[in-house]
Parts: sequence; structure tokens; C-alpha cells
Amino acid sequence: MKLDFSPKDELFRQEIASWLASNLCGEFDVIRGRGGPGDQHMFIDERKAWEQKLYQGGWTCIGWPPEYGGRDASIEEQVIFNEEYARAQGPGRAGHIGETLVGPTLIAFGNQDQKDRYLPEILRGEAFWCQGYSEPGAGSDLANVKTGAQFDDATQQWFISGQKVWTSLARESDYCFVIARTDAKSVGHHGLGFFLVPIDQTGVTIRPIEQLTGTSEFNEVFFDDAQCSVEDIVGEPGDGWKVAMGLLGFERGISTLGQQMLFQNELDEIITLAKTNGSAKNPQIRQRIAEAHIGLRIMRFNSMRVLSSEGADGSLQKESMIYKLYWSSWHRNLGKLAMDVMGAESEVLKGGPYQLNRLQSMYLFSRADTIYGGTNQIQRNLIAERALGMPREPRG
Amino acid sequence: MNFTYSEDQLTYRDTVAALLSCEVTADSIRARWTSAQGIDANLTQQLADMGLNALLVPESCGGLGLSELDFILLAQECGRVALPEPLVENAMAATAMLSEVASSDLAAANQCQDTLKQIATGNASVACGHWINPYVNMADTSHWLLLPHGDEVHLVSTQTVDLIAQRSSDPSRRISKVNWQPSRGTKIAGGQQGAELWRSALNRGALGVAAQLIGLAESILRRAVVFTTDREQFGRPVGANQAVKHLLADCAVSLEFAKPVIARAAYAVANSPTRADWAVSHAKVAASYAALLTVRHGMQVHGAMGYTWECDLQIWMKRCWAIDKTWGDVGFHKNRIHEWLLNPNALMGAEHTFDKSGSPSDESNSQQGAG
Repeated sequence: MKLDFSPKDELFRQEIASWLASNLCGEFDVIRGRGGPGDQHMFIDERKAWEQKLYQGGWTCIGWPPEYGGRDASIEEQVIFNEEYARAQGPGRAGHIGETLVGPTLIAFGNQDQKDRYLPEILRGEAFWCQGYSEPGAGSDLANVKTGAQFDDATQQWFISGQKVWTSLARESDYCFVIARTDAKSVGHHGLGFFLVPIDQTGVTIRPIEQLTGTSEFNEVFFDDAQCSVEDIVGEPGDGWKVAMGLLGFERGISTLGQQMLFQNELDEIITLAKTNGSAKNPQIRQRIAEAHIGLRIMRFNSMRVLSSEGADGSLQKESMIYKLYWSSWHRNLGKLAMDVMGAESEVLKGGPYQLNRLQSMYLFSRADTIYGGTNQIQRNLIAERALGMPREPRG
Repeated sequence: MNFTYSEDQLTYRDTVAALLSCEVTADSIRARWTSAQGIDANLTQQLADMGLNALLVPESCGGLGLSELDFILLAQECGRVALPEPLVENAMAATAMLSEVASSDLAAANQCQDTLKQIATGNASVACGHWINPYVNMADTSHWLLLPHGDEVHLVSTQTVDLIAQRSSDPSRRISKVNWQPSRGTKIAGGQQGAELWRSALNRGALGVAAQLIGLAESILRRAVVFTTDREQFGRPVGANQAVKHLLADCAVSLEFAKPVIARAAYAVANSPTRADWAVSHAKVAASYAALLTVRHGMQVHGAMGYTWECDLQIWMKRCWAIDKTWGDVGFHKNRIHEWLLNPNALMGAEHTFDKSGSPSDESNSQQGAG
């Protein structure tokens, strides 16, 4: 147990802080504090350019091993990076999915050729990714995917057909990783493949989904004989579920730290507003602000605990299963707190046609936190069945 | 002691519910979002023809002379269809306020009687710009506005004020700030009488919101049941899972438990209005809790569909979120309850639950409450 940062860590903190101070300015001023939840589709070109800027400074993919261009940053350094990035109001990372999901997945499951082709462009902030998991009939029941992949011997191509849904940032991405059925007769976890599919082709059609917020971060993605080269299946046909679940494990790891710093910024904004508009005098509001602060600290300490004892292969322990349930419920409550602090003003929009301020947008977006990425109900099942070892709920 | 409604009350409710369910649909509400005024003029006239605008107006002024207990049943139905027309706010708060002046010894009584007669026939309407609400809903569709100047009550023609339109997060609501100048000619009450009028208007307004919230939430619950019965995952309806059905069971329990609280509050407002603060605040808190829980769980069981603009659920959810903060938010009402409970003169104990006096510690209960 060692709960403080070393002098070397503090040097690292100074390095990133001063780099951000001298680089997140000028043309990048407009994206400070932008691109967070509910705002992910905004300023996308500027945020992509920012990724390249980060790369030039050596600040993309810092947790990756050096052979793939990373710094092999320690947990402490990654904590510090995220803290300083949030403090500087760094924009939502356009390269987030590539850096934290695709990269680690390819490093763990991909072959050398795939690593050589995909990792450098993620590192350089030149290629952006989206996730093709959910389908209209496969939400909570993810293994029920119907999208099919057929191999054509003549062209040595996979042809993918089906529909994905709730795909964040599909229109802004270059590639989509897709789980699809390589064995048409298979059911459930079996007979699936994990594909790296280029978005810009005639077989792929994207239709935005308008959300409660009036904006469209999510999309429906239609695959109609979309082509995917024989080299772009990760693992063997039939390994798809294993790879897909491995990827979800990375989702609960390091990337939680950056999320918590976003939460901290939101809580700070709420506290500032409560002081300004007088609601901080209300004992109920004071109590709830204190509870929110406590909850955020709990998450932070738990993340650090889990990350400190992470397995060498990136595999997480049972403790990580509780994280989604906790943060999503906490954040949803934070949204409600924000609206109660705003009081009657919470109803009033900034402008037309449906222009929300940051807290209103956060409120609406956080209604979905307990749904996407595995609903709270699914999380509780996982905790009960996998972490506690209780009998499985009958399925099918 | 009898907590049931009479056959007449239920029949009238069913008649209104039948009209509303035919005339107000999700599609017609979405059509209002892009229309100029945001209301359906034909429906407004139909509701007036049924006497709804003047339900609380004395018969001598052309009204039905019914009570708040009758009205909360109808308000629930208005909530159930997410009625965008401001019927509940106008009839429960504004028109009832005019009725109080009309039945008083105030000099403006005659003027108010005349206005009420026009309201009863659907030829005029009045909205209330209560001090507790920064914005008035649908002010531009009302001929008259009741506005506060200190404790004074002013009856002002809408044509003489500046309405600064705001956009509401609930596209069904057309809210605006009112800029206006009080004058001697517009004043209809003041001093202690004025303060009492604002106080009872607040209670009626909050009661109207509470009743609407129950109707809105029951609609959400019904939609949630239908959706989770149809939607299949793991080869069976998602509603078959305990994790899902328990959420909805919790909503049903909290909604049902809120209903008698609202009835109790309506009874207090109708029979001992100066002592109704605690009962109304309890009703608003209970209804808000039940409704917001139902919104939360209702959306949750809709999965990602519930987060889309296309899904009609948002019509009901956004209304709940918006009106929850009107006529006193949950903090205001909880604080009014605290004040009453901690008052040294409070008559506590089981024997006072239905005490004739409605509640203890009446006079010392300040109008402003937690304001």
C-alpha cells in the first residue's frame, strides 16, 4: 500500500501540465471542455486535429507498450495524465475507442499484421473507430446477434450483412469493429467472428438516431454485403465472443479514470452554480452535494484499487464488475442534483430548436447511463451470478 | 370517514377521459410542437363547453360550483394524455383565484364576476403568474393574467404586457417571462387578503401539478408494461425477468400510495383552505417522488429506445421533469412540512390525523414557507 505520488510522478505531472498549457490554446481554444457525454459529436474535426497534436507531444496511447509506440505509463502516471487533462479542460477524446478498446484488444488478440497496420494510425490520431455490437434484437442479449459474415473464396473477402444499432460516432469513424455470425447455423456465443470493417464503402449505410437531447451521437449502421478482407478478422472464425468480451474488459479499466475526471468537472460546475444561485443554502441540496462528492471519491479509490492489482494480461478482477452499476447510478443521480440546483431554470433552454446547456445535456444524457453498455439489471445479474456465484437466471 | 369518490364524480371523470383519449394523441401533441400557438383551439372550446374551465366557479357566475376534490380526478386524466392545453393551471389556480375575489367583499368582486362569466362560456381565459413560478405557461393564449406586486393581486390584460418567450425542455410547454407595470386600475386585492389569495393559489396550483403527475406517470407505467411484454431478449419477454418487473411494481406501489394523499390534500383545500399547506406539500412531495421514480424506471425498461426522440415516452417524461419544478419544487414543499412539524404549537399524534381543523398551527404557518 502506497497512496501518494513519488517525486518522479510529480515531475511527470509538471511535464503534462505544462505541455497542455502551451498546446491546448489558440486554434484549440474552441474545443476546451467540449466533446463530453451528450456532446461527443461536436467539433469533431478540431478534436481529430487535437489527437494529432497529442501524438506529436507523445501523449496518445501512453499506456501502450513501447513497441507499439506507447510510454508503458504506470498506473500512477495514467492517473496523473487524466487528472491534468481534465484540469486543463481537455476535450472529449475523439480517439478514445481506438486507444482504449481497439488497441488493447489487437495487442491481446490480433496478429502481427493487424498490429502493424492498425496500431500506428490509432497512435498518430489518424484513424477513428466505432463499435458494432448491439442489434435491434440483441441488446441485453448480446449473443443473439443476427448479422452474418460469409466468406467468398474467389475474392478472399468476407461479406457482412445485417444491422447494428446505438453505434456512437459511426459517421465520424473510419472503421467499425463488428461481431457477426460466421456460422449461419450457430446460436448464442458460438460461431461468431470479430471483424475490422472499413466504414467508407458502398455496403455500409449509416442513419443517425435522434435522441432525447435533440442531437444524434448514436446511429443505426446497415451492412449490405459490406466487404472485409480475409486479413481483418481478429482470431479465428468462432473466436468472436472471446475477443468481444476481452474488449469489454478493457472498457472497465484505465478509461474509467478519465471519466471520473469529467464527473469531477461536472460536480464542480454544480457546486459553483449552487453557490451562485443560492440553492447551496438549502440543507437538502448541501447534503446531496456532499453525497455526490463521497460517491465520486468511492469510485476513484475503487478504480485505483482495481487497477493497482490488475493482471498482467489486462484481465480485471471481480471488483471491476461492480463499477458500471455504481458509476451509472451515481451519475444519473448527479444529473438530478444538477436539475434541482437549477430549480425552475432547469426547464429553460438556451435557444432553439433544442439547445441545452452543459448541465441540461448532462442530465438527459445521464438518463441513458444505466442502460447503455449493459443495463443495471444485467449488471446485477452479472454480479450475482459471476461474482457471488449464485444460480443462473433461466434463459431462453 | 370515506375516501371513495361518488358515482357522479367518477362518471364525469370517465366522460372527460373519453374525450381526451380521442382528441389528444402522441401524434397530435407532436403536431402542436411545430404549430404557432401550441394549442388546439377546437379542443380548448370543447373543454370549455364541458364546463371544465369553470368547474370551480360558483354557479352564480355561470360555473359548475364543484370542488377541488372533483377537479383532481380530471387533472389526473389531463396528465394521462399529457394534455398540452393549460387547463389545469388555469382552472385550478387562476380561475379559482378570481372566484375567491368574486365571492369576497372586495371592490373588484363585480369585475371578477363578469370575467368569470366570460370564462365559463369559453370567451375568455385567465392564467396565473404566481410569484413562485418564474415563467407562465401559455400566457399568450390567455386574455387575462393574474400577476403579483408584493402581496397585491393585479388582473392585467395580456395585451398590455411584454411576454418574453423562453424555450422549454418540454416542447409542449410555451413558457414566458412577463414584463409589466402595476397600476391602480389593475389592482384587485392587496394586503393580508392579497397574501391569502396567493397562498391558496399556490396550494391549488401545487395540487393540480400533483394530480397531473400521477396521471402522467400512470401513462408511462402502462407503456412500460406494454413494451416489456412485447420486447424479447434471451428468448422471452424482458418483462418476465424479476429485475424488470420489480422496478415496475415499485412504481405501481408509490403511485397508488400517492393517490389518497392527494385526495386528502384536495379535501383540505376545499374545506379548510387556510390550513391546507402541510397537506398540499405532502401531496406534491409524494406525487413527485412517485412520478419521477416511474419516469426513471419507465425509461430504464424501455432500454435505449426510451432515449430516442422518436419514442413517444419523452412526451410524458419531459412533462414530468418540467412541471415537477413548478408551483414549488420538492425542496420548497419538504421545507414547508419541516416548518409545520417543528412548530412548537403543532398538534401531533394519531388523533389529529383527520382532525377537523385540518392541521395544527395554522396562523403561524407563513405564506412564504421556505421561499
